[in-house]
Amino acid sequence: MPPSATSATGLSPAARAGGFLLLALALVAVLVLSITVGARPIALGDIWNALTAFDPTQTNHKIILDLRLPRTLVGLLVGAALGLSGAILQGATRNPLADPGILGINAGATLCVVLGISVFGITQLSGYVWLAFLGAGAAMLVVYLVASLGREGATPVKLALAGAAVTAALTSVTSAILITNVETLDQIRFWQVGALTGRTTDILLQVAPFILAGIVLALLTSRILDGLALGDDVARGLGLKVQRGRAMVGFAAVILAGAATAAAGPIAFVGLTVPHLARAFTGPNYRWILPYSMLLAPMLLLGADIVGRIIVPPGELQVGIVTAALGAPFFIALVRRRKLAEL
Amino acid sequence: MSLKTLAATAFATFLLSVPGAAFADAWTYADGSGNTVTVDHVPTRIIASQDAAAGLIPLGIRPVGIYVDSVVAEAKALEGLDLTGIEIIGEAWGEVSVEKAAALKPDLIVGEWWPLDKTWSGGADVVNALKPLAPITGPKQGASIVTLIEDYEKLAQSLGADLAAPGIAADKAAFEAARDKFKAAVAAKPDLTALAVWAGTDALYVAATEGSSELMDFASWGLKLIDPVIADDRGYWETLSWENADKYQPDLILVDNRSKATIETARAQATWTTLRAAAAGQVTDWPAFWLRNYAAYARELDKLTAAIDAANVSIGD
Amino acid sequence: MSATQSFAPVGAVVAVRKRLARRYGLVVLGLTVLSLAVASLSMSIGDYPLPLVDVIASLLSPFTGNTDAANDFIVLGVRLPRVMAGLLSGAAFGLSGIIFQTILRNPLASPDIVGITTGASAAAVLAIIIFKWSGLGVSIMACGGAVLTALLIYGLAWRNGVTPYRLVLIGIGMAALAGAVVSYLFTRARIMEVQEALSWLTGSLNGSTFENLTPLAVSLLLLVPLAAFLSRALRTLQMGDDAATALGTRVEFSRLGLILVAVLLAAFATAAVGPVSFVAFVAGPIARRLLGPSGNALLPAALVGGLVTNAADFVAQHLLGRNQLPVGVVTGALGAVFLIYLLAAAHRSGRGG
Repeated sequence: MPPSATSATGLSPAARAGGFLLLALALVAVLVLSITVGARPIALGDIWNALTAFDPTQTNHKIILDLRLPRTLVGLLVGAALGLSGAILQGATRNPLADPGILGINAGATLCVVLGISVFGITQLSGYVWLAFLGAGAAMLVVYLVASLGREGATPVKLALAGAAVTAALTSVTSAILITNVETLDQIRFWQVGALTGRTTDILLQVAPFILAGIVLALLTSRILDGLALGDDVARGLGLKVQRGRAMVGFAAVILAGAATAAAGPIAFVGLTVPHLARAFTGPNYRWILPYSMLLAPMLLLGADIVGRIIVPPGELQVGIVTAALGAPFFIALVRRRKLAEL
Repeated sequence: MSLKTLAATAFATFLLSVPGAAFADAWTYADGSGNTVTVDHVPTRIIASQDAAAGLIPLGIRPVGIYVDSVVAEAKALEGLDLTGIEIIGEAWGEVSVEKAAALKPDLIVGEWWPLDKTWSGGADVVNALKPLAPITGPKQGASIVTLIEDYEKLAQSLGADLAAPGIAADKAAFEAARDKFKAAVAAKPDLTALAVWAGTDALYVAATEGSSELMDFASWGLKLIDPVIADDRGYWETLSWENADKYQPDLILVDNRSKATIETARAQATWTTLRAAAAGQVTDWPAFWLRNYAAYARELDKLTAAIDAANVSIGD
Repeated sequence: MSATQSFAPVGAVVAVRKRLARRYGLVVLGLTVLSLAVASLSMSIGDYPLPLVDVIASLLSPFTGNTDAANDFIVLGVRLPRVMAGLLSGAAFGLSGIIFQTILRNPLASPDIVGITTGASAAAVLAIIIFKWSGLGVSIMACGGAVLTALLIYGLAWRNGVTPYRLVLIGIGMAALAGAVVSYLFTRARIMEVQEALSWLTGSLNGSTFENLTPLAVSLLLLVPLAAFLSRALRTLQMGDDAATALGTRVEFSRLGLILVAVLLAAFATAAVGPVSFVAFVAGPIARRLLGPSGNALLPAALVGGLVTNAADFVAQHLLGRNQLPVGVVTGALGAVFLIYLLAAAHRSGRGG
């Protein structure tokens, strides 16, 4: 990247649009890879047959249609949801550290799933979805209410503090249950690592409507975010309803991050990293940061998932591990390389 | 409690009795860690780990306190045992109430020696917390559950248990009958192969025989267990992506039954039935890691024998 | 979070200073009294039936010589080291937290969140699950993990100096990485090892002895005076780098020294009792809100840390059902409730930030 491109304004508008198209193409390529590459080598012809002339007696066909296809689509949606929710949360709280995890969503989802396993004996991933969604939403709502208690309403610092406080409280309850319930611990450890393994069509169908609605809503908030980026007072001066705007962004973030966590478990790194990456391309303009994040995040997530499938044969490495292993060094390099604009 | 009290008690006993008689009452036990433990009287107030309790209670030795690694309801080894009147002094890994333990005035702590980890049941924290109260001892986990139970028999006998008591002898006879039936069933189907697994949402875990004492028992009685080709870095499991679940094709699948969630998880996977034995319903329980007494062993063996009898041996490779 | 410096006529300043000094004294006194009260409660209540008279007799036995082996074991061997472990580790976490938060000018930047404790945890879990260590080996690994993570974060954040902003971002990245290592090890281990690792990760005062508290106590003795000495520089730093440079403080040197102190405090506390959650995070904000705008919150933060830890341990031991739980399951909840209360109380005082 030439030095001028790393300035605060990022790429020129034409280059931004071109970049967006390139990203879209790259994402399609990743989707194709995600269906063709896996722990079990399957010939391309077989894959084509599985999609066009499905034969349920063939193991390879079953794997393509029942495992890889839903897994890929879940990865696509979850990735987009995480990237967008991270971007809008960072914008709304003006905190570059804001991430669904820090605002209590993961902790709420985890607690509800843990309760579901230990109290209601729910053992299957598809059963976790509603619980996790409920937990994520409730946690985020509590964080928001707590942060709104003071006179100035939900300021960024108070949101972050309230998020950390609620996370700590919920995590305490989770630990108290896990430390005495060994069966629950045995199951939750595979969920809380964050994975796309075993995500079937019914999970896809459960979360898809929420994520699609969330995406539309999030993309509509770009004007609000650009206003908030100038500071609450300036935003007010521009005629923006700061509290209502922030609440709307929060609502979109809950739906997106909640549904993503419900589908794949807590994957903490994508929502944090991708917006910074997007900003490196686009500069501080949410009209572009949001769509870029929406495409970059599923690329990162599915790319990591593909790596995880082939790196430890005949087993697999969970996507949450790979995103952290790939994402952290990348994120650190990014932080070192750019003089990150204060949000 | 402390060495001082012990020493004082010992000294008093010594003074009050004919020299020599004091030592006749002393209790010694050569334990699984290679130590020999000596107490000046036969211990009666025993604190036991969950496993040791599962080994001792059916032999008529009732501990005064038990420490468990989880809530009692989830301790598979304690299932079906009468625990009334026994104080539970810990329900989380590493957490025992030293005060509750001290209030029980124990004269012996019984756990199991883990040769790989070189510690007693419950781990170092629990051992360090209980060590000041009474000596810790117990049998060693090893290559066979039967040997482990026999070690418990020796320990229980030295603690005053009557192994010939009707209920206890009947348990042992039932186990021996179950074992003989198992051997006969296996011998009748020499081609039968079995695979022991644990199913997670992430992968199917195939167990290596030498990773578990009861699997080694089954193998020694003639059952052909398929051993994974590549055991992972941990040595005892091969992790198979659910895409590769059909790597091994046994006639009979044994599924870890510590939690009923495991078999439900297996059944929910699209590729579970690519294991032909699973598709044919030739699946039974693997009593993984928790057997400690004859009664439970006999029950589990009977289930296995029935599954072997019913199995069609042309299913697997 | 930072205390705002205001400029006012000299006479008013003197009056304000007096008022603030009185408030500081009251806060320190109140926290000390509360800490002693909770400690006394923990010393006198337990599952081992022991009248208060015997507890006091045991405590005085080193001076009176009237020993009773059974009672002394409970009072001097179990309860006293436990209370001391809570006070010392809580103080260390509290100090570490407030130093981080102040230097990095971000209330989120406690060692829990910027990866120091997570690094210690990953190292310890590695020791437990892969090397099958326990006890001292795990403590040393935790300590080493914390220091190594801190050095890595600082080294990676260094680019013609270190900005707090970059340090926190890189810390969060490292925390995510270390967290992933822990999650991964959890999925690879036998469930028994996972239980052992989880128990360590939760943080527990169980099985504390004077012996395993010694390293923490010694480190506190050395590091607290150092922290106090450097805290003047710390206060200058609160005004921002430019102002501090103008005042002649060698910004980078003081910052590095203080961060090192904070890292070591967190490392030794974690090694002694495990990464007891949230104490480091919550002690600073609570202390600051109690003090109001009056300056140096180091001592109050240390006191708050010890108080929160011991109060949480009392709840975990006696108020949560039949059997005791590790302290770490309660510190989070207790600290959170306190913090939320303070955030809510800002409604009345009108101070939101």
